[in-house]
Formats: sequence, structure tokens, C-alpha cells
Amino acid sequence: MKPHSIPRRQFLASAVTGSLLFPGIVQQLLADNADPLAPKQPHFPAKAKRVIFLFMTGGVSHVDTFDPKPALTRDHGKEIKADHPEIKKRPGYERIYLKRPQWEFAKHGQCGTEVSALFQNIAQCVDDIALIRSMHTSHSNHYNATLGMHTGSFAQSRPSIGSWATYGLGTLNRNLPGFVVIAPKQTYAGTQVFASDFLPGAHQGTLVVPGAEPIANVAPRVPASRQQLELAALRQINEEHLASRGTDPLLAARLQTFETAFGMQMAVPDAFDLKQESDATLASYGLQRGQTTGFGWQCLAARRLVERGVRFVELIDTGSSGNWDAHGDMMTHGPLAKNVDQPIAALLRDLKQRGMLDDTLVVWTTEFGRTPFNNTATAKGREHHPWAFSSWFAGGGVKPGIVHGATDEIGLRAVEKPVHVRDFHATILHLMGFDHEKLTYRHAGLDFRLTGVEESHVVKEVLA
Amino acid sequence: MKRWFAILLAVPASALADAGTEFFESKIRPLLVEQCYECHSAEKTKGGLALDTKTGWEKGGDSGPAILPGKPDESLLIKAVRYHDEDLAMPPKKKGGKLPDSAIAALTEWVKMGAPDPRVAEAKLAGMKAADAKSWWAFQPLPKRDSAPSTAKLDAFIQRELDAHSIKPSTATDRRTLIRRATYDLTGLPPTPKEVEAFVADTSPDAFAKMVERLLASHQYGVQWGRHWLDVVRYADTSGENTDRPLPHAWRYRNWVMDAFNRDMPYDDCVRMQLAGDIVNAEKADNERSAGIVATGYLAIARRFGHDIDKDMHLTFEDVIDNVGKNFLGLTTGCARCHDHKYDPITAADYYALYGIFSSTRFAFPGCEPKGQPRDMVPLIPAAQVEALMKPWRETAAKAEAEKKQRLKNVSADQKAITESAAKSTRLLASSQVGEGKSVDFAAVAGESLSKISVRKGELLQLTVLPNASHGADSTLVEWSIRETGGAGRTWSVADLVQSLTQNNPHSGHDGAAWCFLESTANGPVFLTEKRDAIDGNSALKKWSNGDTPSVFVNSADQQVMVWTTLQAESFFVHPGIKRPVAVAWVSPLDGVVAVTGRVTDVHPAKLDGVAFQLDHIAAPEFGPALVNLGKAANDKAAAVEPAPVIPVAYAVVEGAAINSPLQLRGDPEKPGEEVPRRWLSVFGGAAVPANAGSGRRQLGDWIAQQPIMARVMVNRIWQWHFGSGLVRSPNDFGARGEKPTHPELLDWLASEFVASGYSVKAMHRLIMGTATYQRASAASHTADPDNRLLAHFNRRRLTAEEMRDSLLTASAQLDLTPAEAHPFPAEATWKFTQHGPFNAVYDTTKRSAYLMVQRQRRHPFLSLFDGADPNASTAARQTTTVPTQALYFINDPFFHAQAGAFAASLMKLANDEARSAEAYRILFQRQSSAAERERCRAFLASYPASPQEKWAAYARVLLASNEFMHLD
Repeated sequence: MKPHSIPRRQFLASAVTGSLLFPGIVQQLLADNADPLAPKQPHFPAKAKRVIFLFMTGGVSHVDTFDPKPALTRDHGKEIKADHPEIKKRPGYERIYLKRPQWEFAKHGQCGTEVSALFQNIAQCVDDIALIRSMHTSHSNHYNATLGMHTGSFAQSRPSIGSWATYGLGTLNRNLPGFVVIAPKQTYAGTQVFASDFLPGAHQGTLVVPGAEPIANVAPRVPASRQQLELAALRQINEEHLASRGTDPLLAARLQTFETAFGMQMAVPDAFDLKQESDATLASYGLQRGQTTGFGWQCLAARRLVERGVRFVELIDTGSSGNWDAHGDMMTHGPLAKNVDQPIAALLRDLKQRGMLDDTLVVWTTEFGRTPFNNTATAKGREHHPWAFSSWFAGGGVKPGIVHGATDEIGLRAVEKPVHVRDFHATILHLMGFDHEKLTYRHAGLDFRLTGVEESHVVKEVLA
Repeated sequence: MKRWFAILLAVPASALADAGTEFFESKIRPLLVEQCYECHSAEKTKGGLALDTKTGWEKGGDSGPAILPGKPDESLLIKAVRYHDEDLAMPPKKKGGKLPDSAIAALTEWVKMGAPDPRVAEAKLAGMKAADAKSWWAFQPLPKRDSAPSTAKLDAFIQRELDAHSIKPSTATDRRTLIRRATYDLTGLPPTPKEVEAFVADTSPDAFAKMVERLLASHQYGVQWGRHWLDVVRYADTSGENTDRPLPHAWRYRNWVMDAFNRDMPYDDCVRMQLAGDIVNAEKADNERSAGIVATGYLAIARRFGHDIDKDMHLTFEDVIDNVGKNFLGLTTGCARCHDHKYDPITAADYYALYGIFSSTRFAFPGCEPKGQPRDMVPLIPAAQVEALMKPWRETAAKAEAEKKQRLKNVSADQKAITESAAKSTRLLASSQVGEGKSVDFAAVAGESLSKISVRKGELLQLTVLPNASHGADSTLVEWSIRETGGAGRTWSVADLVQSLTQNNPHSGHDGAAWCFLESTANGPVFLTEKRDAIDGNSALKKWSNGDTPSVFVNSADQQVMVWTTLQAESFFVHPGIKRPVAVAWVSPLDGVVAVTGRVTDVHPAKLDGVAFQLDHIAAPEFGPALVNLGKAANDKAAAVEPAPVIPVAYAVVEGAAINSPLQLRGDPEKPGEEVPRRWLSVFGGAAVPANAGSGRRQLGDWIAQQPIMARVMVNRIWQWHFGSGLVRSPNDFGARGEKPTHPELLDWLASEFVASGYSVKAMHRLIMGTATYQRASAASHTADPDNRLLAHFNRRRLTAEEMRDSLLTASAQLDLTPAEAHPFPAEATWKFTQHGPFNAVYDTTKRSAYLMVQRQRRHPFLSLFDGADPNASTAARQTTTVPTQALYFINDPFFHAQAGAFAASLMKLANDEARSAEAYRILFQRQSSAAERERCRAFLASYPASPQEKWAAYARVLLASNEFMHLD
């Protein structure tokens, strides 16, 4: 059977009356505890009402992008020593040499933050960005570091940061999921990166794969007029069933989800319908009219989602292969940067222009950096580097145009004001209005939190 | 020194103690409270050090005792406050930094005095006072068994509490609801209309008991209750390490669990088997011996972690210790990995005592990226039998290998001759450039000449695809058919190869034809020899290649696959390499005339310059056979060597070298502490593993089975699986942080009955299900007991994910009730999974949903949507979330629509709508429809603008999506 779309007018009637299909009594039956996604207040007032989390898969080289190290160019080929996890006992890595960056750096904006030529568009936005050059993490494997960046746990499965966000804040638009992940392919650690794990399943990230049907089963399989007949009959049967059983919030909740689902069939395609955007907007994201893939599409879709009340949108740029993992040749960073640079800059400008950047937190990160050295003076690539990398924030509650922390002269270690992934998470939660030690969930007799049991601190210097 | 000693002697000991205590109380205690407790007391023990008791500093932290009484210069505490050593300096800078000199002097003085400290801690066992641990409710012996257990006695326990709260229970439910409830409860399936009518008609007093017996005797009972157990042991079909490799033999454990429930294996034996079946049954008959091995799959299925899983085995052992504790004992033993348990009487030493038992066990190795394929699977037949099977095979294999070497030698001599003869007799039929994203038809460039080509047997038609200058992503779709123009009109096509591409190269076509997949080099054709049965983990994509490219590949799925580009369904592709053309050759089996049709399409436009192709006829009859021989020599590894005899194996464990484990400080395997002897938990006596007893798994099974808490935990689970909630509502945690039982006496009574019944789970079903409590109607909760803890009524519940899917398949009559065995995983030898391309699959089946293949890293989409068990952690109770994406499933999912369609089709066989409506209600809801419902159905059908069958499909969707179908009263 061919999918059919619901005429817009019918959908609007349903959405406006709130209950074309269902009477108000059902809503009253729904106790708060039956609705884990009801909007909630955070611990303290905060600027960031929603988050767009940009994740660059594979390990972006900090010394080729956001962390200029003239010493690397000066001392290119110089032998150094380091007790590094990626070279320990690795044949052929007994000796290591510094390797120069492949791209020039230049100062940008009023603030003068230096960014390499890889990100010429993002460089134009540095006055809105709080750049952290002293990130570090606990693992040098993609899988573990990726899991850590998403869940705070480097081995076991734990809830994703997006799940914690909707757990804390609920969601504002019940016709759309509260936590959406847009990714062309699966990245390391699979669905665990957006899993709710022990948090209630409603906080699970909903995966959107760019293309024809962004969310499973959202395309109607029968014409709208028929579907409405079916749903009306279903409502009647369910109401009678409910009436004969007194009050049962679970039955009422399930009854109500059909109304929401009906709305989603329209709301989801509507959110992803980029045809409504102007030529100028499409062009700014580097999009052709009608295009439904690419990072530009992901970024513009993200703006449309947060505009519609989605709390947490994560964009993953590539998958577990063909990504930033430039062991063989740093030049592969070129096309990957090109894929995201213009769309990200467009997203920041677009949010700003619409007055949304003030209460939208944009996070840009990767799982780890890349080594400033390699095992020959002429090696073209760089290895995994958990000791230092760069990430940045922009928007909601962030101090714009600053650089926080620093690595040593060669970008080997985060030496000044180091920010561990846990501190990064604590800061994101703080920006959303949460004390990371108090946003907890009781599971298996213990109170779990995103930042785990080890010490972590909010990076106060990046707060506006 | 001597003088000081003399003074000491001169003062009575008690007076000295008083002076010391006074010094401590006035100078030291305030200092410690203010400066140190924040990080070093019962609340928080950084570095493992507590300074709030004398024992705390005597024992010290990770670096050893903090104070050596009388020796300030050697005491770590004094060194720390003196701030000489940066790594040791305390308090830390951010907590106020170095203490004032007066404070340092006081501490030094105090240590010099011998560190008098009156702060004696109450005797503790980890997180609990020793006395409390001893009297902890869950550890107490069970009461003496009731002389005459009965359902009435059980009901009395419930009634007493209801009376105490003045709550009136609801009445008994009707018989239709009861048979629906009981049938789903015991088998996970709905009763058939016939079963319902028979039960309703049976007025004998034991009608219900007979029905329960019938259900308990059904194979489906073990599927349902086995699935409950699989939730708790976090069963999965993949290992969970970074590439999430399949576990092709884990199913044996899954089926063993189901079988154990069906056979009503005594639960204590069931526990012993899962921990040590290999040892317990070692000397028994073959089938019992192998069942014992399979049972230890419980241990083997523990999750593996990381890239090189051997490096993260400490996490796997944690997963085991955590699960053993929660599962069998209701204790969160895993919490004692980094430090003593904060709330329960389990010390870190206890943890490492168990750790030693498991690290003395050899776990089957599932494979991982740096260490390659699986090994250490446990054979299910005795070693002598294995050897008897393997020896002749090894000999044949060695012989075949030698022959192959010889053949290759002969063939390479032929190669030159072949190439030369081919060059002379090659005739170009067609050639063309294929632009970016363009498609070129053979006919368009060769015209009529392709419709009549005379070929002789052994001659070749060969299609070569060449890369152009700026070789890019040149995935090229090839459509190519060769039709015999006379005779039988037989047709050969590359489409024939889509489902069997990797069978062999040369690949035999029908009627004696052969297909060869080649790299075309200056020195002649070279066969592609590297075979993959999955690309990027997608088993629909299969290929032959030499290196990454050139390659010949197919998408064998019936739908398009999006990878680097979109690959259309059931299609054949080639991909040349840089300066490495790829060729597909057809070796003619006939002498006659053929017509060739086809086209070549660039399916991966990358703004480059497309590809080119040429179609040749190599008109030398000796060339085909020679080429095929060449290919066989290159690719005959599989053909020459028979597959090794299949030895049935289990993913299980065996004994390893028995060795104690050191304590790992802060849970870090890089920081070994003192060795901990392998032993039982100290709160239960701490019995040691006897010398020469091996790992101690057998003893561990016995120790667990002797604990009354084991029976309590299991009867609580059984209760929970019947009622939705346990008497203890934290089924995996009977410790200090868990909940207390709502009916403690009932729990103990049940546990004693369980023990007395010989740990018969089926006896518990009979006892519980026979009660009035179980047979009550479901109802709204009483305001005084909103969570229905007192069980005034039965708890309505939604079907589980598995029950839901099985019910849909039952309605459509598609459900296959026979047991499943192994999953259709790709053959082990073909695995090339990496963290960049991990295993990923979803397998369709019409078997019961308990058999769905469950992956650790990628949740099964259906099970994940409907709150299936977590394959990474023990799921003691399923969640019931209600989200709109679930409703979308019932509106638009193709599987749902298909089942509704099939159900409607079966209804269409009945005479009229009246009969259809009645039958639908009988099958789905186990009841008659009311007149109003029949009228509503009639009105719906009349209003729905579609064919009669579509009308019924629509109505079937309504009924199958309804709350009544999806819930049990």
C-alpha cells in the first residue's frame, strides 16, 4: 500500500481542538506520574532551554583545527618521548616525532580567537563561541571514548546525556520526541550512545536517518480519511473498555498516544519539510532545494526541531568508518570539515537571527583529539589522543568570544585548566539549570548520575 | 629516649591514656573534623582512607597505614600535611591548602605520643553494623514448614492485611478472564476459542486445576517462564565487545533454560548447574554431562568489554559477580568492586574472593578485533570422540593442501599460454564511456551485432569495467543477459548470481555454464579470491575482491540498501580499482548462437568522470576450460578441503588454573593489593574453597543453595511474574537499600514451601494460582492502597513485547510453535567485524518472540520500542512505558498491517459479517461480542470505503490495536 499524507487542514483541526479524536476526560485521567515527558522545572533558572549537540565522529585533530601550535611547525620531525596509551608496546612506535599541522591558523572576530583554515566559516562565528582547548578524556578507543562522551561511562552502558536532559526537563511538544538523534550511519557503540538505559524508555533518543522516512512508521499507510475512521472506531472501543474498568491511567495514557501519534504523522514530516525554508536560508546551509541528506540538512532540521520544542537534538556527522579517524592521512580532514563547516556556521547565524541562540545551547565536540606526533617524521596521519582535544559551546548562558584552558606547547597535554569529559557534562547540565550531583535516578539501589562517582566540576569560566 | 620511657613507667597507664585522650579531644579531633572528614570519613573515603575511626587510619588507604604510632617522620599523614611531597600534599590546595604550622605541630606531637585515639568504631561488616547484618531479615532461617500447605492459608495472609486496613477485596473474576489470564501467564499466548469454551463449560470443582496442569505440561510454558529467567540473567546473542560479535552457540543455554522450566528442574539444582554444571555432571551419562556444560552458558554470556577483551576481563568478572549477587541472592555484590559496599555487609575482599573463583575459570572466548576468531568453545562430546572425528579430517586436509600446491605450480605454467591464445582470438563487441551517474545500454553502442553471436563451447563472453582517469567511487550496476536464440532458448544472467555470489569463483551457472570474477591485468586475468559474506556488517551485501578493490558485489536483499551509495534491491555490481579494471566472464556451455542484452550504470555519482566498459568475445574454445582450471586452483581452498566435521560445542566455561586474585585498589586492576583467598561471602560465614577443589564454582553453587535468601529471592520472583509486583518490590535487591516485604510472613511461608517442595517452581504455580487472591477481578485501586500492595484486586497489565508479537502472529495464524535453535549468523570463518564495521543484523522469524536474536550494542527495534529486557543488565521487572511511537507502530507498521491483513483474510472464509464479527471477538478477546458491538462493527464496515477484504483488514487493525487486546485483566 502506498503511503498517503494527511491533509494539513485535518491535522490542524486535530491539533487546535486538542481532542478531535479524544474527549478531555482522558487528559484528566492522566496523572503526572503517568507522563514522564511532562515539562518540568530545573533546579535553578537557566538560559539554555534546549541543546543541539554536534558530534564529530572519529577523533578530530585539535592541533589542525582549534588549537594552534607554532612549535609543531618549528620543531617538525623532532623526536620526543611520551608514555602514551596508543604507542605502548606497539611495534614500530618505539620512537616518535613531532608532526606539523597541515593547515594555517589565523585570528578571527573581535575576540581574535585563532582557528585553522579547515573551519573558515565557523571561524567567522568565534565571537559567539566559548572554545575549550583543554579537554581530555579517559580512553583512547573510539568505542569507549564515544560512549564516555555520551554517557559519562567508558565501559558499561548508561543513560545518554540527551536522556538525562529530557528526564530533567520533560518536553514541550508531545507531537515530537523529546530527544532526537540525526545520524546518517551508526557510530561507535551503536544505539548505546542515545539509549535511555535504566531511565524510563520515554527518554530514549529517537533515531532519524536522513532520507524519505525520518522516523519509523510515521508515513501513513492508508488515506487520511480512512485512517480517521479507523482511529475513531478504535477510540470508541477503547473508551468503552476504559469506562467499564473505572479509572486506569495506563489504559488512558495508551488511548491518548493514538491522538499524539496521529499528530506525529503530520508534525514529523512538517518538521523535516525543508521546502518551507527560503532560498536564502537553504543556500546559507549549502542546501539544494529538495535535498534530504547531508550535514546541512541535519543542521537545518535541528533548528526546525528545537523551534518546535524538542529538548535535545544530537547531530552525528558520519559513521563508524570513513570518519575523522585520520591514521593514514590528515588530508582526509579536508572533506570532513567541508561537510560540516558551512552548515554549522549557518546554524549559529540562523539561531542568532531568530533570537534563539540566547536560549539554545550549541555544543560541538568529538571523542578525543589526535596525536601531535607520529612514528616517522613523514607520517601523514595522526593517532588517537585522549590527553587533549578541543570542544566548544555557543549560545544559551555561555560567555561568548573566549578561550578556556590550554594545552602545552606541542598540544600533547591539557595543562592549563584541564576539562575532563565529566566536567564538560557537569557544565552542560549547569547551563540547563541542573546541579549535576542532584540530577539523579535511583536504580538497583543506587542513585546514578551522568557524571558518575568521580569528582567533577562545572567550568565556571565559560558561564556568561 | 630512655628518659622518656622512664617517665612513662612512672605514670599509671590510665592516667596516661586520659592525658592522651584529652590531647586528642582538645587538639586533634576538631582538626580532623574540620580539615579531613569531608573527604575521609564514613561518607566519603578518598584514596580508601577514613580518618573518623582509629581503625580507619590503622588500616589506612591505598598507600597503606596512615599513621605509625610514635613515628611521625614515617607516618604518611604527617608527610602529607608537611607538604614536602607534591603528590602526597594534604589538604589539597583547592580545599584550603597547607595547614597552619601550629596544627602540623599538634599532629606531629600526637603521633609522637603514640596517636592515642578513643574513637572505636562499632564492629562493622562493610556498610552494615555487624550486629545488624547478623539479624538482617532476609538472611534469617526460614520458619518450620507448615504441615498442610493450602491455597486457603496463603489467602489468609493476604486477607489479614486487607482486614487490618479495612479494605474489601474485589470479587472472583469471570471464567473467560481467568483462562485468558492464566494462559498468558503460563505460556505467553492467548487461549484458543475451543479451550475457552471447554473451560467455561467445565463445572467440575477441579476445572481450574486441570487447566493449570494442561498449561504447565505445554512446551510453551518453558518458553514463557524461561524468558523471564533470561531477563534476569541479561541473555543476549552477541558478546557486547566493541565489534559486538555474534555468539552462535549461546542459543543452547537459552534452550536449556526453557527446558529446565519445562522439566521443573529443582531450583537449587538449577542454580548449581548454571554455576558449575560442567563439574557437577562431569561423571554422568553423556546427555547429562553435555547439559551440565551447556548450563554454564550462564557464566559465559557475561558481557565482554572493549577492544581487546582480555584487557577488560575485570569488567566481565564484575558483570558476573553483579549478576550472581542480584540474581541468586538479591544482593548488589557488584557494588563492592572499588570499595566495601556502602550499605550492605559485603566487603571489597568478599568481592575479590568471588573474583578469584571466576578468574580461575576459563570462559569461552567470543573473539574480538585484535585477537580474531572465537576459541575455547566447550565440546559437548568426550575428547576421545572429538579426536576420532578430527583425525581423519586432518589427514585428508593435509593431503588436499599438498595437492593444491602442486596444482598451482602446474597452473602458473599454463597461465602464459592461456593469455597469449586469448589475445589472438579476442573480438570487441561493444565499448563505451559511461558518464557520471549515467547508464549505457549495450544495444545503443553495438546495435544489431549483439543479437546474433556464434559461440562454441568453452569460449568466453567477457564484460570489463574500467576506471577512468580520476578514479572515484565507481560502484557500477551491471545488468547482463545471454539468451540462446535457437534450441531451448535458455538464458543466463548476472541476476542469477545475486543470491549465490560467494558460493565460488568460478561460479557454476546452470546447464554447465561458468562465471568468472576477474581482475584484468597486463599479465592476463587474475581471479578475485577474497570473499566477504557481509560488507559494513550488512549480510545482504556480499562480494569477491582482491583487497578492497577491484570487486564484484551484490545486494541480495529485497530492498535497497543505503551504504556509501544507494544500492538497489537484488542487484549485481562491480567496482574497478585505481588502474585496475574488473571483469566478469561467462564461459559458454553450448555451441550455437546467443543474443546479448544489458547495460552498465554508474550508481555512485561523485562529481568525477564515470567509468568505461568493453564487451569482448574470446573465440578460443580451449580458453574457457583453462581459465576455469586456473580459477579452481586459486579458489579451491573450500572445494578441496572438506569442511571440518562439526563438533557440537557450547558457549560455556570449564575449569582454569585455580589461583587467588589480589584485591584491586579502587577497582583498578593495575593497582593490585593483598591476595584474597577464594571463599564464600563473609556475612554467610566466609567458608574457604578447599585445597585441590579447583576454582570453587561447585562450592559456590552449594553455598548459595544453602542460603535461605536464595529461596526468598526466587519465590519473590515467581510471585512477581504472576502478579506484576513482588512481595519485595526490589526483586534484585534484598539489602539495606532494597524494599522491605509487604507481607514478610507470607514471603517466609512461601519460601519454606518452596524448599519443602524440593524447590519445585511448578508447585509454586499451583499453590499461587489456586488462590482466591490470584483469581480476583482486576479493578481500580483502593485510595488507601493506590499501588495495590495489599492485593485487593488483580493487577491489570499490558502484554510484554514478546506476548504482543506472538499474539499478533497467533491472530494471523502465522506463529510457528516449534522451538528455535541457532540464529542464521554469517559463518564464523567469514567474520571480519571491526569497531568501524561491527556486526549488525535483525533476523525475521515466525517462531516465538522469545527466540528473537538479541544484540547487545544495537537494540532490537521491536523489543526496544515495547520495553523488552535490557541485554546489558539484569532486568528484574519490565518497564511499561507508553509513548506515541508505540501507537505509530499500531497505525503504520508493515508487520502489524500484514498480520491484520492475514487475520482478515481468514475471517473472509466465513459466511457473513455477523459470523466474522463474532469469530473475531472469540479469537482476540475470548468472549462473545455484544449486540452493540456487532452493530458498531456493521456501521464501521458500511462507512469504510473499500473492498470487503480491505474493510475487514481495517477492522482487524482496530481490534488488534485496542486496549482490550493489548491488556490482561
